[in-house]
Amino acid sequence: MARFLIRRLTFALVLLVCTSSAALFLTRLAPGDVTSQLGAFAPRAEVEAARTRFGLDRNPVVQWGQWISRAVRLDFGDSFLYNRPVGPIVVEAAGKTALLAASALVVSTLLGLGLGVFTGSRRAGWLSACVRGASVMFISVPPLLMSLILVFIAARTRWLPTGGMLSATTVDASWTESLADVAWHLVLPTLALALPIAAAFERLQSQSMSEAVRQPFLLAAIARGVERRELVWRHAWPVSIRPICGVYGLVIGSLLSGSFIVEYITAWPGIGRLMYEALRARDIYLVSACAAAGAGFLAFGTLLGDVLLAVADPRVREDIEA
Amino acid sequence: MSRPTPRITGVLVTLSMLALVFLFVRGCPSQDTNAGTATTTGRRGGQLVASARGTPRTFNRLVAGDQPSDTFAMLTQGPLVRMNRATFQLEPWLAEKWESSPDGLTHTLHLRRGSLWSDGTPFTSADVLFTLQAMYDPKVESVVASGVMPGGKPIQATAPDAQTVVLAYAQPSGSGIGLLDAVPILPKHKLEGALKDGTFAKAWNTGTAPSEIVGMGPFVLREFKPGERLVFDRNPNYWRTAPDGQKLPYLDRLVLQFIPEQNAELLALQAGTTDLTQSELRPDDYVPVRRAEEEGKLTLIEGGVGPDADALWFCLDPEQKKGDRRLAFVQKREFRQAISHAVDREEFAHTVFLGEAVPIWGPITPGNKPWFSPNVPRYPYDLAKARDLLKSIGLEDRNGNGVVETADGVEARFTVMTQRGIAYYERGVSVIREQAAKIGIAFEAAPMEYPSMIERLLKCQYEAVYMRPYFSTLDPAGNLDFWLSSGSTHFWHMAQETPATEWEGRIDSIMREQATTVDAARRRELFNDAQRTLAENVPVLYFAAPRLYFAHSRRTMGVVPSVMRPPLLWNADSLSVSGP
Repeated sequence: MARFLIRRLTFALVLLVCTSSAALFLTRLAPGDVTSQLGAFAPRAEVEAARTRFGLDRNPVVQWGQWISRAVRLDFGDSFLYNRPVGPIVVEAAGKTALLAASALVVSTLLGLGLGVFTGSRRAGWLSACVRGASVMFISVPPLLMSLILVFIAARTRWLPTGGMLSATTVDASWTESLADVAWHLVLPTLALALPIAAAFERLQSQSMSEAVRQPFLLAAIARGVERRELVWRHAWPVSIRPICGVYGLVIGSLLSGSFIVEYITAWPGIGRLMYEALRARDIYLVSACAAAGAGFLAFGTLLGDVLLAVADPRVREDIEA
Repeated sequence: MSRPTPRITGVLVTLSMLALVFLFVRGCPSQDTNAGTATTTGRRGGQLVASARGTPRTFNRLVAGDQPSDTFAMLTQGPLVRMNRATFQLEPWLAEKWESSPDGLTHTLHLRRGSLWSDGTPFTSADVLFTLQAMYDPKVESVVASGVMPGGKPIQATAPDAQTVVLAYAQPSGSGIGLLDAVPILPKHKLEGALKDGTFAKAWNTGTAPSEIVGMGPFVLREFKPGERLVFDRNPNYWRTAPDGQKLPYLDRLVLQFIPEQNAELLALQAGTTDLTQSELRPDDYVPVRRAEEEGKLTLIEGGVGPDADALWFCLDPEQKKGDRRLAFVQKREFRQAISHAVDREEFAHTVFLGEAVPIWGPITPGNKPWFSPNVPRYPYDLAKARDLLKSIGLEDRNGNGVVETADGVEARFTVMTQRGIAYYERGVSVIREQAAKIGIAFEAAPMEYPSMIERLLKCQYEAVYMRPYFSTLDPAGNLDFWLSSGSTHFWHMAQETPATEWEGRIDSIMREQATTVDAARRRELFNDAQRTLAENVPVLYFAAPRLYFAHSRRTMGVVPSVMRPPLLWNADSLSVSGP
């Protein structure tokens, strides 16, 4: 197991270096640079000073070499947009994205698996058909549209805040009030992210469950007079969960990519919105650091997926140990 | 070309003479001793929430010129004199009065007595001297300095006493002490150490503790959460008072909530989460916002015609366009005049800005009230005249394909670069393309990302471009980079060593005189001449200037919109709310 973990951590490190380096090169080689943020006709001296400060006057390979040598000392460069080191900015934003992603993951898992077990363990019925129809609809709606629809509903009904992470009224609030306010603001972006994933989980779980309930060992259990609830949750569900565990890691990665537009529309101050702003501005070191954070999320997600798979399936556990 | 009638000229001369006599007797006083008192009465207390689409890059305005940093400085700092964004008059601010010598070279400013920094430290002339020293320090690389160097040299400042500052200019400036509007005065007791040890450029970055940010503005920073919000509390030591004698600002707290996406920003306003947006509405938002106003959700106000307008121009730099045979006719003013005649400005305003715009023929719009001249040459919609102009320079549709060409077959076909994602830019290019096609000029739109567009723009790697260039100030003396052929914002042919054309040389000498003339009437006369010359030669084509509309919650009071930025927060000390 230790060897497996070391292997995965090495893979994560390589992924981090490759992704952030590729982001740096691509941002550097794309037309235009961060000095465009100074305005279309900023004084030449100001533009040149900014180019020198951000290493844009050097060869891209030289710039990368200097950046990577600083990065090993955990100095990832300065952000042009925020005029300060990118490290603390990205760490803070990553924490907020992790909160949103975790919340979306919990909601999508509970909703998707619960409904999937329900629809997969029954042959027919209008309720199952409704759930299936809703799933197909939510899978088809991209996160951009889902966010816009939810923000529009929130603005019209005033049931939920339309954006941000904290209300303007919480400046002097106690930590419990602030926590409640964050939770209140979390609902809308969580739904925007979670609904399409929950729909995908529901479809996967449903299909897998309907196959599981047809297995001979379940027929034997039925013959032994096992109750339906126990049959579904104790015998069929552990068998049917494997496909979900297999895609769980990828889903965590996709939560990040999905969060780009959701965070932007709902003004959630996470890594997705930060990277979107950084990319638009060609804020080179901020883009690289955000890409590294994204790769970190992906590596963590796949590791978590593998661990869950190992927990759910003894055969996988044996493979890892072997 | 029209010139002022003898009667108007006579009035101008009389006014000029009266102004000269006045200057001779009094020096050059322009102070309004009532600037320390707001003109409207509001309700004390409460919190106002404004949305913002960007975060400040720094809390030190001397080292960054982005709009959020400028707004931050306006809320927390104060200049010696202030340009009133609604009346365009210069007002005493931290300097309560001043005298200027008749030659415009020496200005003596008397600082407001008894004023305190937000931390309670007395404000003195040492702070002014320190700010100027920091601004001109080459290590600081201040973005403000280049605009505050009359005659290209730093202002020499001395302080005879703690309340007086004497400024010596190397050359008279047409803007006089109006130049100082752009310079927020910084506290010596907080930043002297950073200047001495060479870290001033990094001082007061956005990671600085709010308690370290001290100012003379109406608010003090309470909290900054990057990507989330800026929270300001009222400055208890702010020096301005309301008409009823109570101290300003009215608000106890101001919150800038960051909402980067403009649709979400508008929805937040409609939902009552925010009280105002900081930027003007897009033309596409007029209808829904009017509907929301009718439903009693918010208030829509007109700020007047904007001082900046969308423009179309060609790269006229012969060095960059070597080998491009189209340059031969693009450089001829008849070609550009023909396009100007071919565009129906009324229809342009109707289609691009949904009717909320006025036709214009030059860079100075009616929104720039102090400097707008209605007497620039106009190009009425006249397709026959446009075709004649093209014919006069040898451009005709010889092969019948609908596009005019020269005798040797060079077609008038161009790609127009514009910024992707801005609906009214794309509509503007579309209207120009359709209307220019009627006289045989073919345009194709090429929308692109902003950084890519700017890179091409600065290298002159484009054929034509359509975008909205912004003037930094309304005073033309502050925009010499646009008017002078050597300027970096003389965008059709930037940074010329010597003027490429006779008329650019003429504008150079007019504007150099205009920028160093102290007499207001003479400055205006000279600037009218420069506008006329530019409009005759149309290096840049202007079609319509939009009217600016803003929206705010119904509980917000004291809003005085300005066409200058920031349009609603420029008088934040006089804003108030009708409820908590």
